Amino acid sequence: MSAPAAQSVIALEQVHKHYATGELDVHALRGVDLRINPGEFVAIMGPSGSGKTTLLEILGCLSRPSSGRYRLAGRLVEEIDPDGLARLRGEEIGFVFQSFNLLPRLTVAENVELPLVYRSVPRRERRARALASLEHVGLAHRAKHLPTEISGGERQRVAIARALVNRPRLVLADEPTGNLDTRTGDEILSLLRGVHAEGNTVIIVTHDPGIGDRADRKLMIRDGQIEDDRGSG
Amino acid sequence: MRILEAIRQALRQLRAHRARSLLTMFGIVWGTASVIVLVAWGQGVRQMLERGFFKAGKNMGEVWAGTLSEDYTAAVDRRYLWYNVDDLEALRRRARLPVLVGGETDEVLPAAYRQRGLNVDVRGIEPEVMEIRGVPLATGRAITRSDLNHNRRVIVLGDDVRNRLLGADGGIGSWVRLGGKPFKVVGVLEHVGTQLNRDGFLIDEQAWIPLTTLQNNWPKWWTDEPVIEKILYRMRDRNSLDETEVEVRAILAERLGVPAGDDQAVGIHSALKVLRQIPVDEMEALLFILAATTLMIGGIGILSMMLDSVYERRAEIGVRLAIGARRRDIIGQFFLETLTVTGLGGLVGVALGVGVCLFMGGLNVPDLVPVPVLQVEVVALALGVMGFVGVAAGVIPAWQASRIDPALTLRME
Repeated sequence: MSAPAAQSVIALEQVHKHYATGELDVHALRGVDLRINPGEFVAIMGPSGSGKTTLLEILGCLSRPSSGRYRLAGRLVEEIDPDGLARLRGEEIGFVFQSFNLLPRLTVAENVELPLVYRSVPRRERRARALASLEHVGLAHRAKHLPTEISGGERQRVAIARALVNRPRLVLADEPTGNLDTRTGDEILSLLRGVHAEGNTVIIVTHDPGIGDRADRKLMIRDGQIEDDRGSG
Repeated sequence: MRILEAIRQALRQLRAHRARSLLTMFGIVWGTASVIVLVAWGQGVRQMLERGFFKAGKNMGEVWAGTLSEDYTAAVDRRYLWYNVDDLEALRRRARLPVLVGGETDEVLPAAYRQRGLNVDVRGIEPEVMEIRGVPLATGRAITRSDLNHNRRVIVLGDDVRNRLLGADGGIGSWVRLGGKPFKVVGVLEHVGTQLNRDGFLIDEQAWIPLTTLQNNWPKWWTDEPVIEKILYRMRDRNSLDETEVEVRAILAERLGVPAGDDQAVGIHSALKVLRQIPVDEMEALLFILAATTLMIGGIGILSMMLDSVYERRAEIGVRLAIGARRRDIIGQFFLETLTVTGLGGLVGVALGVGVCLFMGGLNVPDLVPVPVLQVEVVALALGVMGFVGVAAGVIPAWQASRIDPALTLRME
């Protein structure tokens, strides 16, 4: 914990998260300390209810810690206003979801463009960057299709293209292979490894040990705490 | 996010739920059309009333001499009141508010032409009376000051009198008999039709002759002096109704020797006053409220549709937030979506309402049946109410959409 904060992409110190759901107070994270350096490929694993989704939420700036400190690329997240967080999500983070979460009414290309729309990138540039991103995942020929017209594996690749379109510092994937068969899942994982090989920081939340084994660093989370941190350099 | 982008997404969303959008938009279409048609119809009623009341004289006051009410000692010899030429001249000279003053005296006389005869309401008038009444001539000429100066036996006939007395074979230059005395027809009035304001006979059933001719040939039984039974005046505009009445009454009361405010002695009638008592404003307001309520109920339909839509699209909203949308982007998107539905419905409604108004305005309806009168203001009003409804219906769903927790995206799977 002596390394300067600016060096890490992610630095969590004693992060707690409570949820008030009805009468129950759920203590989902109980003091998480975590540092992730640029260019790491990390798998966060744990049984359901362990708090891994909550951790992902916080890492992705979708919610804030109840207490503790979170620095993303050196900036203290609790000091950033909601618009700033939205900007952070749009520019620094790319999300890949288990169920792909493509918007069904938009074409593949329009889905990939969407993060750029919210950054007010001009239409022509949006098109070009979306196509380049699709090219990257090998789906440029699907640009004009609707998400319902392509396969599950293709959808996830579109989602990855969307996550990468703004060249984020950090790619967060939530069970990216959870809805895919093994072979397609492997393809997606290879794609994510490729993304990592280009210098991106990739964090995958999963309960699939196969993925954990292929990560450089594997974190086990249980009852809201990191139990085991293997391969951490 | 840019506005055009948001509108494009809104239209796409509407197309995706075509049936639901059309059904919901129908409320706005109907409501907007209602505002236009009902408000225009209210305008039509107002115009119809004014036309009906002003047919026999616009902004006109009619003064007659009545009876003494309280203190009659000052005028004990004129228990029975009337005006004479001096009273009329005094009013004409002294009154500053009326723009025109004219005297009139009335007699019902048997009229005859060839074999035909009927009793006619004959008005001895000054030329000013014709001007004040404003009824145009169909043919011939008006009664002139020269006719009065020379006591000419000339007559101007109302449309109905002309038809019934002269029939097809008579016209300008024909001679008719009034109470046995020959009169030359010099003019015929245009058809007036139903009057909402009348004193005894309709204009169509009257015949007009010079005031002096009537006074000299048929003097009143109670006095030798030439009598003026009625004084007509035109006020400057409708706003000077009350002050003109006060001034006219004060001058004539002084002439009659009665208190200045005695409205029994100096009776004044004005169609404007009656018109003012008809609750046209209230009726218009009521129509507007009814129509605007219809439009608002249409807005509630839209509100309900948009709330549904927000709920159905929670996941979409979560994704948008996760990939960088700010809350205000989400608010803008849903707000614009509501405005787009409302605006589309409103435009169709305006077209429908304007169409109905034009169609009804083109119908050949009888006298005094009101038809919608379309004015730019009416359309602007409808669009204004529609805009208000759209904004009101858009605020809540947009706000709800923006409150969706972006973390939901991760938990809905």
